[in-house]
Amino acid sequence: MAGSSGRGRERIGRPATGVGKSGMDFERILTRYKDILNYTGTIDEYIAHGGYQALPKALREFQPDQLIEEVKKSGLRGRGGAGFPCGLKWGFIPRDSPKPKYLVCNCDESEPGTFKDRMLIEEEPHQLIEGIAISSYAIGCHLAFIYCRGEFVHGARVLQRALADAYARGYLGKNILGSGFDLDLYVHRGAGAYICGEETGLLESLEGKRGQPRMKPPFPAIAGLYRSPTVVNNVETLSNIPHIVVRGADWYAGIGPSRSAGPRLFSVSGHVERPGNYELPMSITLRELIFEHAGGMRDGRRLKAVIPGGSSAPVLTEQHLDVTMDFESLAAAGSMGGSGGVIVMDDTACMVRVGEIVSRFYHHESCGQCTQCREGTAWLHKVLRRLERGQGRREDLDLLLDMCDNMKGKTICVLSDAAAMPIESYLKYFREEFEAHVRERACPFEGNGAF
Amino acid sequence: MPTLKIDGVEVSVPANTTILAAAKTVGIEVPHYCYHPGLSVVGQCRLCQVDVERMAKLAIACNTPVADGMVVTTRSPKVEKARRAVLEFYLLNHPLDCPICDKGGECPLQDYTLKYGPGESRSAEEKVQRAKHQTFGPHIVFDAERCILCTRCVRFCREIPETGELGVFSRGDRSEINLFPGRVLDNAYSGNVIDLCPVGALTSREYRFQSRPWDLVRHTESVCPLCSNGCNVVLDVRHRQRGEELLRIRPRENPAVNRWWMCDEGRFAFQYFSDPARLRAPTWREDGRPVEMGYDDVLLRLARAIRRVVETHGPSAVGCIASSRLTNEELFLIHRFFREILGTPHLDFRVRPVQFQETDASEDGILRRTDKTANSRGARDLHILPGPGGLDVAGMLAAAADGRLKALFVFEEDLVREFPDRPVREALGRPELLVASSMFGSETTALAHGVLPALGFGEKEGSFTNFQGRIQKVHRALMPHLASRGLPEALRDLARDLGRDLGEIEPERVWAAIGEMAGAYQGIAWKDIEPLGLMPEAKAGYPRVSVGGREPR
Amino acid sequence: MISDETKKRFDDLVARYPEKRSALIPILHEVQAEVGYLSPEAIEWVAAYLTLSPADVMSVASFYDMLNLEPVGRHMIYVCQNLSCALLGAEGLIRHLENRLGIRMGETTPDGLITLKRMECLASCGTAPAIQIDGIYYERMTPQKLDELLEKLRDGRFERSRA
Repeated sequence: MAGSSGRGRERIGRPATGVGKSGMDFERILTRYKDILNYTGTIDEYIAHGGYQALPKALREFQPDQLIEEVKKSGLRGRGGAGFPCGLKWGFIPRDSPKPKYLVCNCDESEPGTFKDRMLIEEEPHQLIEGIAISSYAIGCHLAFIYCRGEFVHGARVLQRALADAYARGYLGKNILGSGFDLDLYVHRGAGAYICGEETGLLESLEGKRGQPRMKPPFPAIAGLYRSPTVVNNVETLSNIPHIVVRGADWYAGIGPSRSAGPRLFSVSGHVERPGNYELPMSITLRELIFEHAGGMRDGRRLKAVIPGGSSAPVLTEQHLDVTMDFESLAAAGSMGGSGGVIVMDDTACMVRVGEIVSRFYHHESCGQCTQCREGTAWLHKVLRRLERGQGRREDLDLLLDMCDNMKGKTICVLSDAAAMPIESYLKYFREEFEAHVRERACPFEGNGAF
Repeated sequence: MPTLKIDGVEVSVPANTTILAAAKTVGIEVPHYCYHPGLSVVGQCRLCQVDVERMAKLAIACNTPVADGMVVTTRSPKVEKARRAVLEFYLLNHPLDCPICDKGGECPLQDYTLKYGPGESRSAEEKVQRAKHQTFGPHIVFDAERCILCTRCVRFCREIPETGELGVFSRGDRSEINLFPGRVLDNAYSGNVIDLCPVGALTSREYRFQSRPWDLVRHTESVCPLCSNGCNVVLDVRHRQRGEELLRIRPRENPAVNRWWMCDEGRFAFQYFSDPARLRAPTWREDGRPVEMGYDDVLLRLARAIRRVVETHGPSAVGCIASSRLTNEELFLIHRFFREILGTPHLDFRVRPVQFQETDASEDGILRRTDKTANSRGARDLHILPGPGGLDVAGMLAAAADGRLKALFVFEEDLVREFPDRPVREALGRPELLVASSMFGSETTALAHGVLPALGFGEKEGSFTNFQGRIQKVHRALMPHLASRGLPEALRDLARDLGRDLGEIEPERVWAAIGEMAGAYQGIAWKDIEPLGLMPEAKAGYPRVSVGGREPR
Repeated sequence: MISDETKKRFDDLVARYPEKRSALIPILHEVQAEVGYLSPEAIEWVAAYLTLSPADVMSVASFYDMLNLEPVGRHMIYVCQNLSCALLGAEGLIRHLENRLGIRMGETTPDGLITLKRMECLASCGTAPAIQIDGIYYERMTPQKLDELLEKLRDGRFERSRA
C-alpha cells in the first residue's frame, strides 16, 4: 500500500455499499460511480454516466427562487453535523440586498470518525462542482469557494484539476452554457484547525484571520463572508443537489424517513470488520449498519460502545442498537446524527482512555476565545489523563460533571458543548469504569486494551 | 425609547443600548473584562452573562441590545453559577502573585472573585507557567502568567494608534499575547494598555513596586498641560514620610476631549515636580550674581526697580511676555497688573508660530496636537495681546535690544531656546530690569535680574482652555515647596509693594471678574466649569473649532 | 527572499478575492514551502506584501497546525492520534517511530531529515491507523510498513512533494 496518488477507492476501505444482508438493495446515488469499473472521476467519465445534466436543467427550467422551493420540498438537511434544513438556509439570503452573495462549500471535514467528504472530493469532484454551480444560481452567488482543509493535499489537487476542466467546458465562468449566469469558483486551502469547520470560524479563516467563530446574530445569511449574505454548505449536502434537480424533490423526499430524507453517507470505523463509507437511507438501524453492512465486530468481540455522529456525539451502548439513524431518533436516544461518523468500540476499549483521547482533541482544537472553552477543555483533558493514569480522586468524577455543565450553552460556538457532552455520556454509561480507575489507582485495561 | 426591567429596576434608554450600558445607568454592576466602550466588542470573556426572560440561554450583556419590555436578572442562581464558573476557569492558572503584583488593591479579578467567585480551588493540576516580567517597551512590563486573554490590549493597539504591535499567538489554552520577535511596544499611546488591562499582566515600568492603591492619599482631577488638547487626567499622590509625591497620572474619561485615553508623554512626564534641579527660592542679582532671598525681599527690590523705570521712562518702557503655559487665572491677573496697574500696552504670549493661527492642528489624528502648551486659546480669549500701540513678542525683543524697553518680564518661556536664530541673549541683556519666572533654570533666567520660581500645573488651582474652546479645571494635587509662592500671590504682593491693589486672586473671585468682561467668557462663573469642562455658548465672534469632522478617538 | 515568479503567483492569488487579506493563508503555505518554514523574515515579507502588521500575520500563522514557525525537517510525518486510529494501534505506531528515530513526537531528527508531529483526525478513520508524509496519506499502517517508508526516506527515494 504505497503512496496514494489519485486512485481512490482502495485507500478508503471497501467501497460504499448499499447492499445489506436484509436483502434490501438501496440504490446508491452519491456513490453510484462505484459501480463503474476503473472510474476515476474525470469530467468525461462524469458526463458519460449522466453528470452535468442537472446544471443545464436548473438554468433552463428553474428560476432561482423556484430552485430554493424545490430544495425545501426535498427535505434535504445539512450533512456537516448540524442537520439544518438546506432550503430553509438558502431562503434566508435577502435577495434584495445590494451586497454580493457568496456560497462557501465546507470541505473542512475534521470531525473525528468522519471521512466521507474526502472520498467525495477525491473520487467524484464534479458532482460537488455541479451542486455548487446550481446552488450558487439559486442564491444569486457569482463567486464561490471550496474551503478545503489543508491536510487534503491530494483532494485539493483533484478539485483544482476538476475546476479547470469545468471551466474549459463552460460549466463555470462567464455566461455558463449560454444562460447569462456567471460563476467563479475557487479552492481555498485551510491550514489545520478543526474549528474552521464551524461556519463562522471558516469564514474568518477564509478572510485570512484566525479561525475564531463569530458571535451570532448576525448569521452568515445576513452578514457572512466579507459581511455579505453567505451560505455555507457541507460537501455532501451540495453533492445531493444535482440529483434533486434531475429526479425531483418528491423523489428525494421519499428516500428514508420524512424528516431525515435522502441518502446519507455513514463513515464507519473502529472495531468493525469492514470500516468504510456506506451510503444508506436514514431509516437504517445502528444494528443493521454495523452488523449487516460493516461486517459486524472484528474478531467476533462484543460491542461495548458506539459513537453515532462524530466524536462530539454522546456515546450509545448495546441497548441503543435498534435506534434508526435519522436525526430525530438519535436525538431522542440522547445522542445526535451529527456528521454521520460512526465509531464502534468493542470490550477491549477503556472508556476512560476514550475520554482522555476525545478530550485531548478538544483541548487541542479550542480556538481559545471563550474562557469556559479555553480553560475547560484543558482542565477536562488533564483530569481525564490523571484518571487514566490512576491518579484520580473520587471527587474528580462529579467535578468532571460540574465542569461539563459549566461548559455548555455559554460560549460563542458549540465546541465547548461538543467537548462536554461526550464526557457526560461516558460517565453516564460507564461510571463504574471510572470508579475502578480511582479505586484501583490504575487502568484495569493496562497492557490488555485496544490502546 | 425602549423600557426594560433590570433586577426589578425600570430603565429607559435609547434603542441600541446594550444591557450592560443600560444596567450601568442605574448603578447595577455587570462584571466584565473584554468589553470596553472604546474598543470593538468581542464577547470572549463570557463574564457579563445575564438572564433574560424568554431566552433559553444566558445572554452576554455587552452585546445584547435592550428591547422594550425586556426583563433582565443579573443575580439569579443561573447567573451566579455561570459567573462563579468563569472566574473559577480564570483562576485555574492565574498565579498567586497578589503580594507582588502592582494591580493588587485595584484589581477587577480580585474584586470580582471576592464578590462572585469561588472561595476555594477545586483544581488538582499544576498551573501553567509562562514568561513573567517581560519588558515590552519603554513603559510597559508584561506578565504572561497573569494575562486572562481579554485581548483589550491587542485591540487597543490595532484600533486606536493603529500600530498593531501586539497579537495573540497559538490557540486554545496555549494562547499567549506577545510582540512580534524583536519589536517593541512603543507607540505614543502605549500606556493606555496599563489602564485597560483588568489584571496585573500589563503594568507600568515607572510605577512598578512604587505603591499600593491605599497608600495613594489623593486622586486629584486635573488637565494635562503638554498640548492644546487638554486631556483630562487624574493625579495620584502618595504619602511618604518625607513629604508627598506624585506617583502616577492616569486619563480621566471625557467623551468630548480625550475619551478614555491619553498619550504617553503626558502620562509619564511628571518627575520634574520632584526634580532637585527645580528652582525653589527666588533670586535677585546683587553685584552681578544671583542671590537667593525670600519672596518678600525679592518683591521689595523688584517693586523699587519697577518704580524707577516707570517714573523715569513711563509705563511703555515696560514689556511683558506671558505664556500659554499659564492658567486663565494667572493670565487674567497678569493682564490686570501690566495693562491696568502699570499701564503698558506691551503684552503678548505668542512665542511660537503655531500660536499665531486661530487654532493649531492635530499632530497625529488621535489626541496629540502641534501646540505643545495647554492654554493658547485661553490666552487669546483673555486678550493677552498687545494693546493700542503695543508691541508683540518680536517687537518687544527688538525694543529691548535697542533700548526702548527698559524692563521686560518673561513668564515661563525660555526665549533663548525659542528663537535660536536671533540675538536674543543680547536683547535680553540690554534692559536694566529683566525678570523671569520658570520652573527650571534656563538661559533666560541666567540673564535675569530677578528670578521667580514657577509652579507646575499639579500645584495650582485654575483652568486652561483647550483648542476646542473648552474651559477645564486643574486642581492642586501637590503642596508647593514651602519657599514658593504662586504667581497670583506674587503679583498681588508686588502690586501691594507698588502701593496698588491687584484685587482678589482666588479662582472664584477671578472668574467673577472675568465673567463681567464682554467677550467669550461673559457670564461664566468658576462653579460653572464642570468636571468635564465648559464650552462657552457660541457668541458672535467666538470661533468654535471644528475638529475636521473627526471625533477624537 | 521570495522569487519573482512566486510573487507573481501571489499577485494572481490576491486578485481572486474581494479582500486581499484572504490570500494570507494560501500565501503562507507557499512561503513555507519555499523558505522551509515561516521564519520571522518570511512573516515580515508576507506582512509587508499584504500591508498587515507582522504581529498580525504571526498571530494568524501560529493558529494553524500545518504552519511551522520553527525550522522543521526535510520530511514531515504526521501521525493521527485521534480515536479511531488510537483504537487500531496509533500509539503503538508512535512508540515505534520514536524508538526507530530516537526522537519524541514534535521533534526533528538530528540530521534534519524527519520531523514527527502528532495530528488530530485526518479523515482516514476507515483505513486507520493513518499517517501523512509530506502531504501524502499512508493508511492501514503497521510498524513494518513504517519501517519500509523510513528506509525510503533515508535513502532519498522519497520525492518531497510540496504540500
